Amino acid sequence: MNMICVQEQHLPGQSMEEKWDTAQEWGFDGIELRGKGDFGFRERLPELRKAAARGISMPTVCVEMLHFIGAFDATQRQDAIVQMKSLLDVMAEIGGRGAMTPASYGMFSDRLPPFVAPRSTAEDREVLIDGLGQLGAHAATLGVELYLEPLNRYENHMVRRLDDAVSLIKEIGLDSVKVAADTYHMNIEESDPAAALLAAGPYIGHVQASDSNRLEPGAGHIDWALFGATVSAIGYTGPVAMESRLSGPAQDVLPACPVLLRRFL
Amino acid sequence: MNHAMISPATAVLIRNWRGRHTVPAGGLYPHQWSWDSAFIAIGLRHISPRRAQQELDSLFSAQWSDGRLPQIVFDPTRDDYSPGARFWRSDSIPGSPPVSTTGLVQPPNHAWATLLVHESDPSESRRRRFLGRAYPRLVAWHQYLHSRRRSPETGLVAVVHPWESGLDNSPYWDSSLENVAGSFGDDVPRPDLEHADATERPSNREYGKYLYLAAAYRDAGCDDSAAACLFRVEDPTFNAIWARSELALAGIAEELGITPAYDHRQRCRDITEALESLWDGELGTYVARDAITGDLQKYRTVSGLMPLLLPEIRRGDELEALLRGPHFALGTSCLVPSHDLTAPTFDASRYWRGPSWFNTAWLLAEALKTRGAAADTRALAASMAGLAVLNDFPEYVDPHTGEPHGTRLFSWTAALCLDLQHRLIDGE
Repeated sequence: MNMICVQEQHLPGQSMEEKWDTAQEWGFDGIELRGKGDFGFRERLPELRKAAARGISMPTVCVEMLHFIGAFDATQRQDAIVQMKSLLDVMAEIGGRGAMTPASYGMFSDRLPPFVAPRSTAEDREVLIDGLGQLGAHAATLGVELYLEPLNRYENHMVRRLDDAVSLIKEIGLDSVKVAADTYHMNIEESDPAAALLAAGPYIGHVQASDSNRLEPGAGHIDWALFGATVSAIGYTGPVAMESRLSGPAQDVLPACPVLLRRFL
Repeated sequence: MNHAMISPATAVLIRNWRGRHTVPAGGLYPHQWSWDSAFIAIGLRHISPRRAQQELDSLFSAQWSDGRLPQIVFDPTRDDYSPGARFWRSDSIPGSPPVSTTGLVQPPNHAWATLLVHESDPSESRRRRFLGRAYPRLVAWHQYLHSRRRSPETGLVAVVHPWESGLDNSPYWDSSLENVAGSFGDDVPRPDLEHADATERPSNREYGKYLYLAAAYRDAGCDDSAAACLFRVEDPTFNAIWARSELALAGIAEELGITPAYDHRQRCRDITEALESLWDGELGTYVARDAITGDLQKYRTVSGLMPLLLPEIRRGDELEALLRGPHFALGTSCLVPSHDLTAPTFDASRYWRGPSWFNTAWLLAEALKTRGAAADTRALAASMAGLAVLNDFPEYVDPHTGEPHGTRLFSWTAALCLDLQHRLIDGE
């Protein structure tokens, strides 16, 4: 049975306890955390330890920075690796499953001007193999996982389809690096999202559910029945988290989402 | 929902999806087949009611102006099947759709599938106006059969090619094919043999006749008049499915809240009554009739059991006895053999001359369920699931040993196992 999680920014309340009460009231099984850079996530460790001790389920964290492991700038790249290691450290400490990152976000799109990247495809790959390898090794020592999330063509140019991520993971050869499949990005990039999820099945470590318009599940036109059947078919039993934007006030639109997803998962 | 068959069956249907429809199998059957799609939709509805609707919508979009739903809708990107689009040249035949198709048809299980797909998610169906779109298409299809294929004398529809029956090389067609004077010649293209052993497929001699008949029908502009058809046989399964789908049409009209185009239940009764002329008391089964010679084709085949699907069929008890007796050995055989186990014409591995198929098992499971034989239905469903998952969803199996034959990862095998698992086993 997949846990259905919601990202913490959608939950009202000051403390994790207050957020957790609301999450449960709205039908969620867990909270997906947001991990700020500059060790901001690590600074939350006392709060998160306390929440974990109270049984609040926080299986995953999604990095929240503006530079990533595939940055063109070497200094930023190095910092992204340091920050991601810190996120993994925290998740290990609070009994979580792992942390996710895209290769990049908002840095470059080969579908928008100036169209030509300042780095070759081969160099992109070399950079990602290096960063993911370092993070995968670190995750393995902690017993947690690193999730690489393919984004869409307008948000990054390096890892857009599930098989892009799988190809990197196969080359790295570490079980601690897996794919985070996000249905919103898949809707843009995959010619057949179900077939793509099936093909990447053994490498899927995390799933994020947003609708075709990035709103909460049910607010767009993704085929959630097919999504649920495919998730079951690949044997994925991990969390399904909602990072979505919302079509209305959270208290109005979010409680319907676990009902919709559970119908098919 | 944790049967070991569910996940791999789902995977088969996801892999065989081609954007708007499902191929029966990736290599051997790379296009959309008519009755395959209806059977596939029946399983696909448990995975994605939307895809199940698209599956049928895709077929309906290839309907001819005379109402026929074609046996095959060709994928324009593939040219590795014979006889393919270049053979049929459907674009040169008046009334054909924009996409290339064959001119032949297959058993009309579509209305039945349409209603089942609707019932799997009525709100999604209503949101997409699925039934409202499908009903006039289905009525036109059934009216084509009634007006163009039905003999006024017998009240039964005739197939004009063995392929139309879906039971391509059944012994039913042997003597009628012998009566066809011509043959396509020696140069018979057989790309099917790249995907299945020759001993498991129709013979070259049969294929020569098949192609000759298909070419003659094509060259006559797919004219259904008696004079133009070299082969016309009234088949129990085709007619029983037609009648069963009339009941579904009645259900669809009721669901839509509209006055039906005609009295569907009465037409079901008429066909049921007409089937009595195919009863052979000596064999204790319905048989096929050559509509040209009038001769009954005296074989016990799985086709002759299909009138069991009809609620008012007169010989239901006799058919059930036949199904359970030595000729089909329900409960002892693997699924239900396509031909009489004791007949000299029985061949355990050759296509429709003996092997057991999953679609006929599904049809008979439905019939037995309706007749109250719940234990047999469940046993058949369990046997289907076991044989399917053990052998990568084979096209057909040896009725004695369960040994798989034909192609693998076959879509309707996966779809119909899924359907029974969801509905008859998990649903109870």
